[in-house]
Amino acid sequence: MKLQQKLAILADAAKYDASCASSGSTNKSSKNGKGVGSTSSGMGICHSYTPDGRCISLLKVLFTNFCIYECSYCINRASSPVERARFTVEEVVNLTIDFYKRNYIEGLFLSSGIIQSSDYTMEQLVSVARELRKTHDFRGYIHLKTIPDASPELLRMAGLYADRLSINVELPSKQSLALYAPEKNPATIKKSMIVLRDHIDESKESRKKSKKIISSSSGSVQKNKQSSKFIYSPAGQSTQMIIGADQSSDAKILTLSNNLYSKYNMRRVYYSAFSPIPHSAEQLPAQSPPLIREHRLYQADWLLRFYGFDVNEITASSTAVNDSGPAGMLDLDVDPKLAWALRNRHFFPVNINTATREILLRVPGIGAIGANKIIKSRRFKQLRVMDVAKCGLSIKKIEPFIEAVDANPACRLLEDENLKQYFIKKESAQMTLF
Amino acid sequence: MIAIQVNTLSEWRKQARELLIRGVTPNDVAWDSQQHSLFVDDGQVPIVAKPIIHHQLRIPQAFFGLADSVACFRDDRKWSLLYSVAWRLLFEDKGLLGMVIDTQVSQLLAMQKSVSRDKHKMAAFVRFKRVNIITSENDTATTYEHYVAWFEPGHLIVREKSPFFRKRFSNMCWSILTPDLCAHWDKRELTFTKGIAKPPNIEDDLEDLWLTYYKHIFNPARLKIKAMQSEMPKKYWKNLPEAVLIKSLINRSGSQLDEMIDKSSAPSINRITKSTFVRQKQALLRSKSSRDSTV
Repeated sequence: MKLQQKLAILADAAKYDASCASSGSTNKSSKNGKGVGSTSSGMGICHSYTPDGRCISLLKVLFTNFCIYECSYCINRASSPVERARFTVEEVVNLTIDFYKRNYIEGLFLSSGIIQSSDYTMEQLVSVARELRKTHDFRGYIHLKTIPDASPELLRMAGLYADRLSINVELPSKQSLALYAPEKNPATIKKSMIVLRDHIDESKESRKKSKKIISSSSGSVQKNKQSSKFIYSPAGQSTQMIIGADQSSDAKILTLSNNLYSKYNMRRVYYSAFSPIPHSAEQLPAQSPPLIREHRLYQADWLLRFYGFDVNEITASSTAVNDSGPAGMLDLDVDPKLAWALRNRHFFPVNINTATREILLRVPGIGAIGANKIIKSRRFKQLRVMDVAKCGLSIKKIEPFIEAVDANPACRLLEDENLKQYFIKKESAQMTLF
Repeated sequence: MIAIQVNTLSEWRKQARELLIRGVTPNDVAWDSQQHSLFVDDGQVPIVAKPIIHHQLRIPQAFFGLADSVACFRDDRKWSLLYSVAWRLLFEDKGLLGMVIDTQVSQLLAMQKSVSRDKHKMAAFVRFKRVNIITSENDTATTYEHYVAWFEPGHLIVREKSPFFRKRFSNMCWSILTPDLCAHWDKRELTFTKGIAKPPNIEDDLEDLWLTYYKHIFNPARLKIKAMQSEMPKKYWKNLPEAVLIKSLINRSGSQLDEMIDKSSAPSINRITKSTFVRQKQALLRSKSSRDSTV
């Protein structure tokens, strides 16, 4: 089979995976090396965008889409009639370097169907990463999707070459997993995540120590200490969940995410709206992917991680007065922060001249940057309602929820039963753009 | 009115210093080079002849960080704006830069943001093409690879962004050609030559593979054109080889989605039951995973 044909098949097979991030690694460059590549500790670079709005940061392919597993939601499951292909290690390595040299990509995101055995498959993935690093001195980004059943030795090796590792939890509940992915075992998935977490923590510790030693010692000692640094998957680990293939509620999903962030130190949990796949299994919904639900979950995830929200605050409960939607689900009409504000009107109005950062972040329409700008500006003068607009924020959205030094008639909207409608009109205009 | 023409930040800094120590107010300087002839007051005394009234100028370091970016902005109004803000920092309020809702400060910040976005997009959207160059010396021909890109940046960022490419591709010979300035790296030294008007006429066969990848990584079930365009504005498309595919991918997506949803194409024969190999493997995996979960 020609390389071009393989690439077509194995990119097709990889496109249902949401993650393409190339952020948060260490600072590397090709200076003093033989090959190409650099990464940074900051944000990654998106080299292109496809019409699905997703970025292309990495060459995201499967090593092979042959698979002995029978996961119903997966295009590559054993019973699927999809066309199959398999790269050689050399082919993936060369594609990565050729693409990288033209500045198409930040690196490689390699995943695979399971062939022969978990260890055999994992060995192939590790070989690609090792070949890139050792033979070609490639210093770009490598993300390896880890096979959960692979041996601890292979998991350890993978992290020595990869910038990021990930293991998919796939579905939000044990029951769903048993139903739709019978070969996958939630216990093994968790066990492997812990193995990764421990190595990642150990590596962080060692890098911190070596930094301290370097900054407090003279030149000759430096080199020695630096080589003892243990670098393991510096951009941490991430995972992915498929949304809408099973019946799990948003509350269930977000509780799981919360758990994944706190217990396993996940850098990211990706939500992937279940996309219909050609020749899909019978028990799955045949419909367009629930993109708005996916979007709301990302917003809620953000609130959990950066805005000090609790899962229970975000998802509607059947007992709350103002809830229209089903229990445990996010409101699809408005974003989860606005939905929370509509349910908790007693919290408002918030005084933008005196509120703490934490409180400001509770106001719909005020994000981290906006809150910082408000706090910075109010050192100079008492803010008026219109000053919020000068901070680059949407006055329309914020207005009903704040008070400032001047009178704010929009506050009266808080009393309005139909306040939600006031926002939906605006939002639905945006929604049609999807 | 004093008319001054500058092209770089260091020129601006030198001139601005001379003006500031002499207390020349922002309203008395025209930095806009185009209006040069209109505003020159022929009868005026040269600036240097004016008395120095401020001997020490203290400007917060943050101002120069901001000025570094703003100097790349493709509009000469930046110079007078920088001068006004410098003036106000010196003689009105040294904390002015924190006042993000001040009109002039927010203009500077907007310029900075626009420049920094453009720099990020340059790192993303430069596309190299490989050219094989044959040199002959003493009858022996040697071939070496040179990577050439054509790019049209929104702002004057080529000089500032080139070190990024040097870091990333330090073991590759490359040139980035732009209408403003061309950057070249020969694995030893970064050099700059004058900008050129038109893209070079070169081709790279590898683009076929890139286009194949772009076509197949797109999921037609998730069409979000607006999201794509806000991150990859149309103005960049003409220099992105993959952009020629966008229209047809969008047009085909509807029928592709129908195919994906249509279950009638599902396999009539269940492959699992037919393949003893797959069945054996799965039995093995299942027994292994049930063992694991009882541990």
